[in-house]
Amino acid sequence: MHLADGILSAPVTVASTACALAGIARGLYRLEPERVPQVGMMAAVFFVGSLIHVPVGVSSAHLVLNGLVGLFLGWASFPALTAALLLQAILFHFGGMVCLGANVWNMALPAVAGYYLFGCRLRRPVGRGMGFAMGAAAGAFGVFGSGVMMALTLCASGGEFLVPAAAVLAAHIPVMAVEALVTGSAVSFVLQVRPEFLLSPSDGTPPRPEDGPHPPADTPRNRS
Amino acid sequence: MVLFDAPPDSVIQRLDPRVRVATAFAFAVVVCFSRSPDALGFALVLGFLAVVLGRPSLRQLLRALLTLNVFLGLLAATLIVSVPGRDLFRLGPLAGSRAGFAQGMTILCRANAIVPAVASLLGTMEPAYLGWALAGLGVPTRLAQILAFMVRYVEVIHVEYHRLRDAMALRCFQARCDCHTLRTFGHLVGLLLVRSLERAQRIVDAMRCRGFTGHFHVLRVFRCGVPDAIFAALTTAALALLIFLEVQ
Amino acid sequence: MTTFPLEISNLSFAYPSGPEVLQGVTLSLAAGERIGLAGGNGSGKTTLLHCVVGLLRPSGGMIRAFGRECRSEPDFRALRRRVGLVFQDADDQLFCPTVLEDVAFGPKNLGQSAEEAASNARNTLDRLGLAGLENRVTYRLSGGEKRLVSLAAVLAMQPDVLLLDEPAAGLDEGSKQRVREILLGLPQAMVVISHETGFIDGLAQRVAVLRDGRILPENPSPGTPSPRGQSSLRAPKPCENGKWA
Repeated sequence: MHLADGILSAPVTVASTACALAGIARGLYRLEPERVPQVGMMAAVFFVGSLIHVPVGVSSAHLVLNGLVGLFLGWASFPALTAALLLQAILFHFGGMVCLGANVWNMALPAVAGYYLFGCRLRRPVGRGMGFAMGAAAGAFGVFGSGVMMALTLCASGGEFLVPAAAVLAAHIPVMAVEALVTGSAVSFVLQVRPEFLLSPSDGTPPRPEDGPHPPADTPRNRS
Repeated sequence: MVLFDAPPDSVIQRLDPRVRVATAFAFAVVVCFSRSPDALGFALVLGFLAVVLGRPSLRQLLRALLTLNVFLGLLAATLIVSVPGRDLFRLGPLAGSRAGFAQGMTILCRANAIVPAVASLLGTMEPAYLGWALAGLGVPTRLAQILAFMVRYVEVIHVEYHRLRDAMALRCFQARCDCHTLRTFGHLVGLLLVRSLERAQRIVDAMRCRGFTGHFHVLRVFRCGVPDAIFAALTTAALALLIFLEVQ
Repeated sequence: MTTFPLEISNLSFAYPSGPEVLQGVTLSLAAGERIGLAGGNGSGKTTLLHCVVGLLRPSGGMIRAFGRECRSEPDFRALRRRVGLVFQDADDQLFCPTVLEDVAFGPKNLGQSAEEAASNARNTLDRLGLAGLENRVTYRLSGGEKRLVSLAAVLAMQPDVLLLDEPAAGLDEGSKQRVREILLGLPQAMVVISHETGFIDGLAQRVAVLRDGRILPENPSPGTPSPRGQSSLRAPKPCENGKWA
């Protein structure tokens, strides 16, 4: 799923790292300190998700969950996935250190795109069916998008990578189906249990208790 | 545990985390852009040396290298066939080129030099220190904090995941390739997500109870000692030699 | 008139689109007093403590700390410097990589310098018998250690009032005993949520029971005299031969 070090050419590595840095900067821009634990927690869920193996035919695939992270975090997916992919590279040697930027860019851009394409539908109360559909779409799009981007990154590195790139893309198709069903059910589960996690605009401040109506809080009497 | 149990006692273990991150990263960058067989051979030696000094879990390292080499071996095989150049061999319609073979070997050597070095320098490090080390090297503090929060709660979420999996297994759940399995995994992920987001909210609450007003303080001050300076100097010399072998 | 460290009067609270959890809770805590807070699951014990420190905003009623009424976030920010809440799940509270950093987090927020905060944290850990844990990584602590460190993290801020949410839950007998002894040795006034009568008896001077959103009429817990000496009548008296009657 992730590119290893040593494959990509220097210009492609540099260019995708620059793109990833721009995404991270956008993700960290105006990230309130109160949201840091939430972003770190989503990164941890992503990391643990990659340890969940699902049987696919005779083989098995691990969950990717970048679409799911995207739905909840929007642009903050960039820093979250950077943290998780770095820890994966260090502990499990999935993916490289130098091409971390490329992997982040390939994984996080479809996540953010999914947030804008499908996440906006979940900002107001919707039924379970709609939730499932949008979740499934985001999950499938997340995996499909990162497969396409990985194939493009490989092709950009040299024409000789055409065959491996096609193989990478083909390998993403069963994973896409798995991811669509899992992400769809996960989103419909969240909609049933804690819809406010999705309703709250993830790019802004999460609803805090003090934002709620509490008439006595700002009475002039209090200021005197 | 997801994170390894006990960091080994080794030479590398006594180094400043910042030095470890910086040297690992510098080594990976230099090797990634090397092409000459001399430089790559030397890089493999350095990678092996790092394993001797860092003593990472060999079982884990070999398993990672095996998966990596199967994947990269397939990649190299397609390169041998698809890259045009002087023939290396000819099997019916298939022709292997020397250029393709060289490119495949380059990729294999780079990966097999970098992975052991990263495993020894960073894989053996207490992951909790990673955030500090990165912040100490100029990575934006907010990103380092996200990393630190993730490292802190990966284990908590992983334990929760295993508890839920055990509870599912007790009710005779078996993962198969069907819709029921995928929907169940979806609910499992959804539940982990809800619990994690609720926990994130409780963490912020607990932080506010202790006077948090939006400012993270860093308490840890690293000190670079003589061993760190020696290690950094030796690595720099090795990398200089690597670059010399490359451009020669 | 003496000012109570904490006075809650007629407090009510409802979660959005939920029933009213608290319906007029009145409770006051005297200096040095230890109150047990009991009640069934979902009776609103945790909600009450979260209202007191301003994490949740009540729909009605009043919270007064050290004679000052608290209404807005700045009021509660000031209150939290003197009223410490220990969360039920220590994992929610210990978010820093190492123990020392976590314990020093509160003091640093109070404006202490790095050295002051660190030495303050070390002293607090020492006092609770946790010296030697300071460089441990928080996620590698045992359940009992986590609980004690999260208590230390709040005590390092030197609060006047402690609110403890189930400090004994999930601990073995030995750790429970240790938490209880530490709490008994503290001078702070405290409100302790606990289901376990064995833990709360002898620790709290009185037990307030929360049911249906209200505090039931009090009856003093047996075993410990209250600061005003009213409940001592019910303490068992030793017989002449030294055995308990």
